[in-house]
Amino acid sequence: MSNDVALMAHLMRRAGFGTTRTELEAYVEKGYENVVDDLVHPERGTPIDEDILDRYFGSEGGYVGTWIYRMLNSRCPLQEKMALFWHHVFATGLGKNQHILASTNQIDLFRSVGMGKIRDILLELSKDPAMIFWLDNNENRKGEPNENYGRELLELFSLGVGNYTEDDIKNCALAFTGWTFGQPIPLYPHGYYTPPFLFIEEEHDNSEKTFLGHTGNLNGDDIINIIVQQPACARFISRHLYNFFVADEPQVPSWNVTPPQDPDAIETLADAFMASDGHISHVLSALFNADFFKEARFKKVKSPTELVTGILKLIGTCEGPQPGMAQYASATQLMGQKLLDPPTVEGWHTGKEWIDGGLLTARVNFAVREVSDASKPGIQDIITRLKNNGNPLSPEAFVESCLEFAGPLVVGDTTRQYLTEFAEANGEINFRDDAAAEENQTLLVSMLQLIVASREYQLG
Amino acid sequence: MGRPYGLLRAGFPFHKTLSMRRTTNFPIDIAVGKEGRIYIMCRSDGTAMIRKYTVEDEDLGTMGGYGQGDGQFTWPVTITADSEENLYVSDEYLHRIVAFNREGEHIGTWGEHGTHPGQLNGPAGIAFDPEGNLYVADSLSHRVQKFTKDGEFLFGWGTYGDGEGEFNMPWGVAVDELGDVYVVDWRNDRVQKFNADGEFLFAFGKSGSGNGELNRPAGIDVDQHGDIYVADRGNDRIQLFNAEGRYVQKFLGDATLSKVSLAYMMTNASPNRMRDMADLEPQKYLRSPKSVAVSDDGLMFVPDFGSYRVQVYQNMAVPLTEQEFSPPRRSVTLHQE
Repeated sequence: MSNDVALMAHLMRRAGFGTTRTELEAYVEKGYENVVDDLVHPERGTPIDEDILDRYFGSEGGYVGTWIYRMLNSRCPLQEKMALFWHHVFATGLGKNQHILASTNQIDLFRSVGMGKIRDILLELSKDPAMIFWLDNNENRKGEPNENYGRELLELFSLGVGNYTEDDIKNCALAFTGWTFGQPIPLYPHGYYTPPFLFIEEEHDNSEKTFLGHTGNLNGDDIINIIVQQPACARFISRHLYNFFVADEPQVPSWNVTPPQDPDAIETLADAFMASDGHISHVLSALFNADFFKEARFKKVKSPTELVTGILKLIGTCEGPQPGMAQYASATQLMGQKLLDPPTVEGWHTGKEWIDGGLLTARVNFAVREVSDASKPGIQDIITRLKNNGNPLSPEAFVESCLEFAGPLVVGDTTRQYLTEFAEANGEINFRDDAAAEENQTLLVSMLQLIVASREYQLG
Repeated sequence: MGRPYGLLRAGFPFHKTLSMRRTTNFPIDIAVGKEGRIYIMCRSDGTAMIRKYTVEDEDLGTMGGYGQGDGQFTWPVTITADSEENLYVSDEYLHRIVAFNREGEHIGTWGEHGTHPGQLNGPAGIAFDPEGNLYVADSLSHRVQKFTKDGEFLFGWGTYGDGEGEFNMPWGVAVDELGDVYVVDWRNDRVQKFNADGEFLFAFGKSGSGNGELNRPAGIDVDQHGDIYVADRGNDRIQLFNAEGRYVQKFLGDATLSKVSLAYMMTNASPNRMRDMADLEPQKYLRSPKSVAVSDDGLMFVPDFGSYRVQVYQNMAVPLTEQEFSPPRRSVTLHQE
């Protein structure tokens, strides 16, 4: 069992949304493999208090802020991370749908089924009104098919380009004819109502279809059953998981021409997928316990959501309900990730594409602003730890301590030299008593601001 | 006027719907004023206001607003009117009580955050007693405290727990004409009744969705007959209990389009078509009601939190004298006398 703090921090950045230092130490105490086992079994944990969420946050407009609160406070953080994962893979845009309840129901669905079997996930997705409307399956009828959902189901959601033919797309679409939703009561005058899934028999094409070598009067259920048995599905979902949890891959549309950077890792995950009948929890367990994951520290650019939640964990706020959670939704949007409203059906472009001049400014500004208040619990906790250390710190040791508590974060020589030079301007630093701590807390805040503004902090 | 010896419950029909989305977004509570005036407290993420209305569905403008300054609120929970129709609002985030006159002028703010006697920690329900003093459900301290209307602490009781006189995040408070106090014990899914000295009298309700059971109940009110109305938020309904806490009936919602909604819809062809395509059954139901208020003339107002409106019912109960209402029976009977 590894009790390595840095490894545990890596796990919790990827499988969760970061930790406070106290949470991190508790996880380390538990042991890496045990933590992974708990993460992939969310049913073991105590669910978040839904009544508290409803009491303090209960209005539709605040959903994303409430979701970020869930990310920060869920006792099963991987469940929320998987909701975010599927939201990225099955990208559905509020901009087109304009029905906040349908969109939030979809996220709730991902939270509910997202760690189960891929068959169930794809089936629920195909019945989800937000997805149905997003990809026009509500206009997919016998005799006048609309192939949009059928095409994306194969291209972006399950198999990837090169693993099916145009005829497969056409027949896939025919199998989903009549899969629509009941007209919800309109927003005005009395609010959103949940649209129910609806299968209209008269609009369903019952003709014989051939799909990936299977022939018969196939319906949507049959299509999904065929898809999930394909090794290509195992590899495609595995590559999505690798891209999201391990290391940045190129954008999805290039996957048919650009091989994975670590084919063996994809095979390992695909094997776990096939051996478990597509059970996502089993694949995740294999992923987090694999050496390729453990060795992938700081190989991913943090998504805006990861950056925001990581900073909030660092400063230790939002541990109880509070107004203003929507500001954090706005922050991710400013950094290029408007939750509930991905830009296209491909989801967000990830990796280095999270960063350009303007977006980097937004990321750094947010991080620097949030750590600027020394009264925040997380910063007070660092001060307490430095105070308990007692001894005066050399500039080098002070930098090392700050990097430890801000991650632990590994930085390059240039960054370390810059941080050390800044610390050296203040000579020997100590937090041994309240007066010294108060005198030096401004220095601590400045050091943390430099750290969260660093190039290395953009990586998770 | 004392309580009637008994009641002939002749019916409690739906009366009307008031307001719509945009006008009263997420109404969390309502205060009944005089001459048909009502005050609807609205709260959502980053927005809060009092919407002054009439029972004829006339919009008389707004009072207060979101924020932390004088005359503002951040997380308002309850609004109640004193005998002069001044409005008092509890704010569970700012831990204070804010007061306005009926014209919307800010006339006072009091409350200090803390857990000592007289301090406030997440104040939720508030209600005036017959002497004009204000009871406050101090939710995060699991207690009830009594203040003068200007904020002078008088006394309080309660601690965390599920025993008699103990609370788990109490929400609504009501006071009857005798001075007895009813407290919605939110996380214990029950209502507790106390006398004016804070002595426990009885409790009713348990977790569940059956008749008389509660799922995170929120607001409460008591009418002139002693009937008790509970906003059973998690079950999307209002439940009516008699003065002894026995379940009488429930209200699931019967909304129609309000006057202002009708006017809106007459100029919007597209939603009219969508309504024609939709299953309209759900539109009448209450969604997450967090409070209920009854007026002296028997109207029951339910802020329909999730549907941006107020549903109003009319109580048709007839008071009975001793000659019109036989003595209590210990056992049920099949005799038809």
